[in-house]
Amino acid sequence: MNADEIDAQIRMLAAERRLPPSHLARWLAMDPASRAAMLDIARVIRLRTGQLMTALETLEEIAVREHVTAAGVLGRPEIRRIAGGPGSAPSRASALLEALRTLRYPLLKKMQEQIRSEVSALKLPRGISVVLPKELGSDELTVSLRVRSAAELARLLEALDRSRTGLTRIIEMLGGKR
Amino acid sequence: MKFDLDAVLVEHGCAGSALATRILRALPRHVPVTHVADNETREATRPASGARDPFGAGKRRMVIARRKTPFLMPCHAGSSRFACCGYLVLTLASNCPMDCSYCFLQEYLADNPAFQVYANFTDSFDELDRLIDNARGRSFRVGTAELADSLAFDSITSISRDLIDFFASRENLTLELKTKTDEIENLLGRDPRGRVLVSWTLSPAAVYRSSEHLTASPTARIAAARAVLDAGYRVAFHLDPLIAYPGAERDYLLLIDELLDTIAPKQISFISMGGLRMTPRLRGAARSRFPGDPMLCGEDVLAADGRFRTFTPLRLNLYRTLADRFRKAGAEIPAYLCMEAASVHESVFGAAPSRPAIIGNRLARD
Repeated sequence: MNADEIDAQIRMLAAERRLPPSHLARWLAMDPASRAAMLDIARVIRLRTGQLMTALETLEEIAVREHVTAAGVLGRPEIRRIAGGPGSAPSRASALLEALRTLRYPLLKKMQEQIRSEVSALKLPRGISVVLPKELGSDELTVSLRVRSAAELARLLEALDRSRTGLTRIIEMLGGKR
Repeated sequence: MKFDLDAVLVEHGCAGSALATRILRALPRHVPVTHVADNETREATRPASGARDPFGAGKRRMVIARRKTPFLMPCHAGSSRFACCGYLVLTLASNCPMDCSYCFLQEYLADNPAFQVYANFTDSFDELDRLIDNARGRSFRVGTAELADSLAFDSITSISRDLIDFFASRENLTLELKTKTDEIENLLGRDPRGRVLVSWTLSPAAVYRSSEHLTASPTARIAAARAVLDAGYRVAFHLDPLIAYPGAERDYLLLIDELLDTIAPKQISFISMGGLRMTPRLRGAARSRFPGDPMLCGEDVLAADGRFRTFTPLRLNLYRTLADRFRKAGAEIPAYLCMEAASVHESVFGAAPSRPAIIGNRLARD
């Protein structure tokens, strides 16, 4: 396909998906290779409107951050594996967005994984939940207990006390001390 | 004049004012001057219809007008959510000829982007006198850089001279002139009598090159700070916005080293830090005007205050690293964080922030 044919296909897909004009303009503003690569992946994994918008926005931001083209990002092995891999189109679409988000927020993703693994390592009993701030947008850790008896409360408080060191470490991680 | 103007509009009632006379005398001949009726001034400050970048065009259209609302007000960043430094704002101009990609004025002045200077600015002196009369014994730090750079057009307005003379004679007031320029000619040779503090926003070279268009280089800002310090002024520095781009920690530490090589820690009145923060509307406006600026695509997430900020552990770690570097420099430089919660202050500095009045008093006197 030549560039005009690719643009026509993009417009057609955008119309089918009712993509907002601002996002269509973003897509068409990409370099020719990126426009084509985006069209290819949007078709292969049948991105829905919201997913298409998120993918376009995230790709654009990765391209600016890393001084690369969207085609360069979509050509990376981890993205190609998702595009050409097994699984349903919806699951591959979710995996694609997650992979793009990992590229867009590399340190955040790494930090979230580290903290989640610290939380898992605490092996807290059922009844205690530890909730991290959304996207680590604050330094506040929420720890909640769900109990139905005094004995259960005592057991959970003891478990919490045993986890004091680990919880302290998590709070310090949220505060950027580790 | 270091910055270009496309036009100057003078409100009829201000045509004979001292400020208009000064500006018109210093203005290059090629800049057209138009007089507008007093009731047309508001329209003259609006975004230019048809301009590809109305905000950018507004920066190059100077409007000399009479300010009809008070000049003095509390800093708009103050809020019960954040620890506050007790800064008071004196609005003598609105908008800035420089063009930083992250600047909040892109949102704040989107509907009236013309560069306004207020011909009746000396009326603000009455407001300041009333302030100190009503709060005897207290000291106040008053700055002119909330909606404008304090010195950007000083070569044609010379407002700094009037301000320095006024503040030099008021024991309980400290003037803060905050800038990203090296326009200090009007300051040299005047005696501020310890009542004037000149402060610079400092960013690493990577941020300067990518985001701080038409500003003086970081090295030029530090050199200007040295010059005003030698001329009897106090100096302070704002690491704000701190931008957590890849390599930021190393670059900010090098910047601090460069600063401390030129100015001894004990000669610095205070340091402020503040992470880049953007409302969704500002973020959209900034990215639309500067689509290729990687500094606007950091690892920012929507925080509880409705602003995009660098995710918390990364932001706090950067604050703490820089605060430690200043601490290790051997002098206790007063420092505060701008638009951060008290808990963040405590986490970074190891102590809760004082009340705004106390911080304001201390920063004004130290």
